[in-house]
Amino acid sequence: MIPKSFSKHFYIMLIPGLVWLALFNLYPMYGVLTAFKEFNPGLGIWKSPWVGMENFQYMFELDDSKLVFRNTVVIAFAKMVGNLLVPFVFALMLNEVKNRLLTRTVQTVVYLPHFLSWVIVAGMMLDIFSYSGPVNQVLSGLGLDPIMFFGNAHIFPALVVGSDVWKEFGFNAIIFFSALTSINPEMYEAAAVDGASQWQRLIKITIPSIIPVAALLATLSLGNILNAGFDQIFNMYNPSVYSTGDIVDTWVYRAGLIDFQYGLATAVGLLKSVVGLVLITISYTLAYRFANYRIF
Amino acid sequence: MKKAILSGLALLVVAASVSACGGSDNKSNEDAASSNNSTETKTTDSTPAKEETAAEEVIDPFAKFAEPTEVSIGRAIDPNYKYDGTDTAEDNVYTRWLKDKYNIVVKHAWEAASGNDYQQKVSLAISSNDLPDALVVNETQLRQMVKAGQLADLTDVYDKYASSELKAVYDSNPGLLDSVTFDGKLYALPETTLPSAPMTWIRKDWLDKLNLEAPKSLEDLGKIAQAFIDNKMGGDKTVGIVGTQQGGSLSSNFLASTDHWYNFSPLFFANDAYPGIWVKDKDGNAVYGSITEETKNALAMMKDWYAKGILDKELGIRKSTAEVVASGQTGIFFGPWWSAYNLSDSMKNDPNANWRPYIAPLDAAGKFNSNQATGSSYIVVSKKAKHPEAVIKMTTLHKWGKDEEYKTLTAGKEMTSQEVPLFLILGAGDQLEYAVNHLRQYLKDEIKLEDIDNINYGWAHEMATHVKAIKKEPFDNYDIQYFDQQADTGFFTHIYAHLNGGSTFVDADINWVRSIATAQTKTMESRWTNLKKLEDETFFKIIMGTEDISAFDTFVTKWKDQGGDKITEEVNELK
Repeated sequence: MIPKSFSKHFYIMLIPGLVWLALFNLYPMYGVLTAFKEFNPGLGIWKSPWVGMENFQYMFELDDSKLVFRNTVVIAFAKMVGNLLVPFVFALMLNEVKNRLLTRTVQTVVYLPHFLSWVIVAGMMLDIFSYSGPVNQVLSGLGLDPIMFFGNAHIFPALVVGSDVWKEFGFNAIIFFSALTSINPEMYEAAAVDGASQWQRLIKITIPSIIPVAALLATLSLGNILNAGFDQIFNMYNPSVYSTGDIVDTWVYRAGLIDFQYGLATAVGLLKSVVGLVLITISYTLAYRFANYRIF
Repeated sequence: MKKAILSGLALLVVAASVSACGGSDNKSNEDAASSNNSTETKTTDSTPAKEETAAEEVIDPFAKFAEPTEVSIGRAIDPNYKYDGTDTAEDNVYTRWLKDKYNIVVKHAWEAASGNDYQQKVSLAISSNDLPDALVVNETQLRQMVKAGQLADLTDVYDKYASSELKAVYDSNPGLLDSVTFDGKLYALPETTLPSAPMTWIRKDWLDKLNLEAPKSLEDLGKIAQAFIDNKMGGDKTVGIVGTQQGGSLSSNFLASTDHWYNFSPLFFANDAYPGIWVKDKDGNAVYGSITEETKNALAMMKDWYAKGILDKELGIRKSTAEVVASGQTGIFFGPWWSAYNLSDSMKNDPNANWRPYIAPLDAAGKFNSNQATGSSYIVVSKKAKHPEAVIKMTTLHKWGKDEEYKTLTAGKEMTSQEVPLFLILGAGDQLEYAVNHLRQYLKDEIKLEDIDNINYGWAHEMATHVKAIKKEPFDNYDIQYFDQQADTGFFTHIYAHLNGGSTFVDADINWVRSIATAQTKTMESRWTNLKKLEDETFFKIIMGTEDISAFDTFVTKWKDQGGDKITEEVNELK
């Protein structure tokens, strides 16, 4: 039995979180109505006339909607994989470095990009991969033709995923570092006594010990599969890469805020949320089943 | 606070009694308003509300408000603009003058960088119905706001508070006010758009160095660009012709005219192609310019130029075209006459940078074509604004309120859109032509200063008082070395832009092509996002070489299927 005085302050601590949730996640739910209306900003959401499922019908007629959903899933999935694998391998590698000063320095340096906004990073990327940028200079040094990286629809998704992984891997590695430090050193000592090599210790002790953390992160990130990163793509894309680079969020932005097709934009956004909800439920169930992770 | 509300109420009473008088009295109001202008009565401001007699009361558009009157606005800011001392966009010589002299207090509800950021912020304000008292918007936004019923009906306020000069300006631009009148109600103050066609701006100092002639045909232009690259005029990374930057379009279109600045419109026009607007085909039917054979030819040519490296390899991707121009990396861009206003960075980096505009490239028949820019700026007033009359007054004062006191305060510096809130270009339809021609005549002493009409063409008169200090002989040569850049820095860019850019444009023989549709039709409202995306994507891909020119035919078929045919029918009905 938990004493009453004990549980109370936990609930109090919960208040800011709940207020945040109500303000930013529950209150905007009202706006979802826009998807079923012909929204007129002057009348407000409630008084605008209903149009039933018209917006959804039109959405499914458009080739574009399928395309942007596909692009979103492809980019988001590739980011998920990259953001899991790269930090994982990086953490393992850095863990083997015994010079603590070096480890710390590297750790600090690689997570710095996480704090830069996409406006800045996208600008950097555009310069680095520009026609006369450093990458193309290296290519021409090798006798190859320069490549228009950001104008090529085949390369664009790779640039998006690559730059995202570059920006985030240092930060994402932190959780692996902490998992690594929680491995009981006695296991390594015992293995060393038994004559296990450095490699064997990595394969048999280190990796199995942090696999549960990796599995947990993987399942939890499933909920983000429809978030391909508006900030990033908006600052990097151009019409010639629409076919592979236009995602749900950028499309909704253009339809809603540039062309004032509020209903259609909301309908697409709502569909995204519904699919996202299903995926989050699945990922939570999986996390509970396999990693015994529980929120409540 | 209470005081402010009271005075607000008093003014509301005036407005209410005017509208209560109804439409039949409008004519007499107008007469009253215009007659009082001529008599210049300046005593009425102390008695704001007299109930019934208010309608006939003489109102002086130049009178000071009895109480501080607040107007909240959303403001576009140029992040690179340098204000004097500690001045800001919200608090500077001009706004202080407005406040002290006329009791108009301008408050910024928000600020955004001019261009895309500002447009986005305006669109957000419209969507969330959270509008400041007044805004400068574009045509699409204006229509959206009218449709949403967010705007104040300015009919009566305009009649009462607009000065006779302001009314004269709109009268001299026939049809302008009609274009912002919906269901008999005036909803905006439109800009008197100065005509603009995209000219080819070339570094003449580079031309001279390479002994090249000014271009006429597309071929000439291509050769010049190639020569600039081959001779590394802008260093190892010389870019032939720059244009569209990230987020920009290849050419201006009927909905959003970017005034042809930094895009590739002239390359289309010289091929007799008019993408983005609705033109007439051989049989007189409306056709969308982007799907014509001419546009296909233009794209094929641009594709070729891109492959050769003549067109900027990073068109559509580059963050800032202005940067390339300023850094001296390129010697060619396209832009209207006022592009000269934006060349100061380039000239700062290289004082010899001698940018000159050329009426080129010409089409096969030797004509210089241009579409007529439709997009413009409009001042709109929110329905919820307490003092729409203050906005009308501000517009009048900006043009005609400049007294001796103002001139002392500003020390002769011409205020720009960065100081003046709700900046709108206003003038008689032939304003530019008048200014340019009279400046030229005045320089040559063919006319005297008094011969320049100070009432209807005040700006031309103002410039004339400065022109002699700036322009050096020979007066008909507008190369940069014949201007004194330091003598009168406040006016140099104005004089330079008018004489260098303006004169070439005024003297040009231009074949104007107008769009049949200037607003969205019913089907466009739902289909345009999709069709526009299809167009942009195909065009960029063709030019940049990731698609073959045959992709154009696929685009045309798709475009027609996905609503284009229906829209064309609707546009045909507009003719």
